Amino acid sequence: MTLTATGFDWVRQLVHRESAIVLSPGKEYLVEARLLPIARSMGLSDVGRLVDSVRTRPSSEATRRIVEALTTNETSWFRDGDPFTALPSTVLPSLLATRGPTERLRIWSAACSSGQEAYTIAMLLEDALPGASTRVAITATDISREMVERTRAGRFSQLEVNRGLPAAMLVRHFTRAGNEWQVSPDLRRMVTASECNLAAPLPRMGPFDVVYLRNVLIYFDLPTKQAILRRVRALMRPDGWLFLGAAETTLGVDDTWERVVVGRSSAYRPLKGA
Amino acid sequence: MTLVPGSTRPVITALIDPATVEAIAGETWIALVGDDEVIVPAPGDLPADTLSAWVDITGPWTGSVVLTTGRQTAADLTRALLREAAPELLDHEDVADAFGEIANVVGGNVKAALPGPSTLGLPEVGQAPAVRDPDDVCRLDVLWRGRPLVVSIQGTLPPLPTPHEHPYPNGASL
Amino acid sequence: MRALVIDDSRAMRRIVSATLEGFGYETRPAGHGQEALDVLQEGWTPDLCTIDWNMPVMDGLQFVSVVRANPAWRALTLVMVTSESEQGQIVRALAAGAHEYVIKPFTPDALRDKLALLGMLPQGVAL
Repeated sequence: MTLTATGFDWVRQLVHRESAIVLSPGKEYLVEARLLPIARSMGLSDVGRLVDSVRTRPSSEATRRIVEALTTNETSWFRDGDPFTALPSTVLPSLLATRGPTERLRIWSAACSSGQEAYTIAMLLEDALPGASTRVAITATDISREMVERTRAGRFSQLEVNRGLPAAMLVRHFTRAGNEWQVSPDLRRMVTASECNLAAPLPRMGPFDVVYLRNVLIYFDLPTKQAILRRVRALMRPDGWLFLGAAETTLGVDDTWERVVVGRSSAYRPLKGA
Repeated sequence: MTLVPGSTRPVITALIDPATVEAIAGETWIALVGDDEVIVPAPGDLPADTLSAWVDITGPWTGSVVLTTGRQTAADLTRALLREAAPELLDHEDVADAFGEIANVVGGNVKAALPGPSTLGLPEVGQAPAVRDPDDVCRLDVLWRGRPLVVSIQGTLPPLPTPHEHPYPNGASL
Repeated sequence: MRALVIDDSRAMRRIVSATLEGFGYETRPAGHGQEALDVLQEGWTPDLCTIDWNMPVMDGLQFVSVVRANPAWRALTLVMVTSESEQGQIVRALAAGAHEYVIKPFTPDALRDKLALLGMLPQGVAL
């Protein structure tokens, strides 16, 4: 156990503040297990050091990852539904109408974590569009090298695929490998994963037709949120679509976006002339 | 010297690796017993009074997935599994049923990792079936809350005789 | 909303029922497919059936086939909850008419997520 009592207390308060979830005493083992991958991805040998590091040098990214690792109650497949089902129903038809027949559609899953969002997108497109793997390129980025590698591998545990992934899609797009499930070669071909720090100047990418930036901005302060949205917008097509997390909005942050209702959720599109 | 026909029957160690068995058992514990209930791969001495629960797999590989632990541990496992639904006093039927279901869950997932198609039998509880062929066993020793538990995936069939052990080499009988 | 919880393990029936009741369901147990059919024939019509595969007397796959062949039970949502987890088994169950498939071992969240996909989570259940 590398986590001290005060360290655990700090984590407990952080989680409660950011998510209202309560970590009761006795959950120290859970914290150690769930935060160790984050520590390692930051080059730290244990969770005690991770907590010390984040306490002395606050980092929004680290904070986000710590909170997510401890509060992931949500599925990561088709999370919140509509932002993904909107692809075949609304976004794709709109894009296909304006793009040429050989033009590649580019989608970005920013903060992709272990890749479930990127493969959710890939599955939907594969089912909606004949020859999707040649027409669509999905870029998946994350600040963590470990997450990028996981996304590249496209391999998920039985517990992971049991959460929120329709069984019909599981059998159509995955193959069992031991006790795990491997995404199909067609899907893997559609997704390219790389490291990227959203809070820093972005590498040359895109231009993207659709961007998924979900449950990331909430962990940054206002100036950083604004900088990220500006940088993201610069990598998007003028008629592109941006999807944020269910509780997120550009309102009060950046007034150069137009909010569009999509099912029970929203998309944000660059305002013309802004 | 002729080879006995069908002498190349796969043994379990060629069909499943220990890491997969560990993952299956680990996920079963996390999901059903509790998300901070870890099982630690480690040798341990089973007590004298043990209980086993097992399911049979019949297919290209035929055998049983056997869980064995001390009776008290099996009772504690039952209570952990049932959580708030646990009765005040656990009777033998409660424990047999819960331990049997854990064997069903582990066994079903082991079966799915083996070449198929195979069928899964209904759980049985009692004294473990004996190991028929020591070469056809995949055994995982773990500690749960510090108590020993064994997962043994064992073939039903006795070992095949090796060719030079053919009892009547010239077809002669006694 | 009502759910018929079909599993030959009493422990599993208790776990699934408790989870579904936490989501606002009223539940009834059955120990195998034939017992479950008896409940349906009595006239107690659930909205949801959770169905184990391997059971004595009548297994889960047979139960699904019988239910799907009866127009009177068209509105029933059928969700497998089983340790059978080969690709082929999942395909068989879906082909027989199961609407969704939960692999054991599962967490309450996993069951909740699958019900949400089916629109079978009573209003007000926190996601």
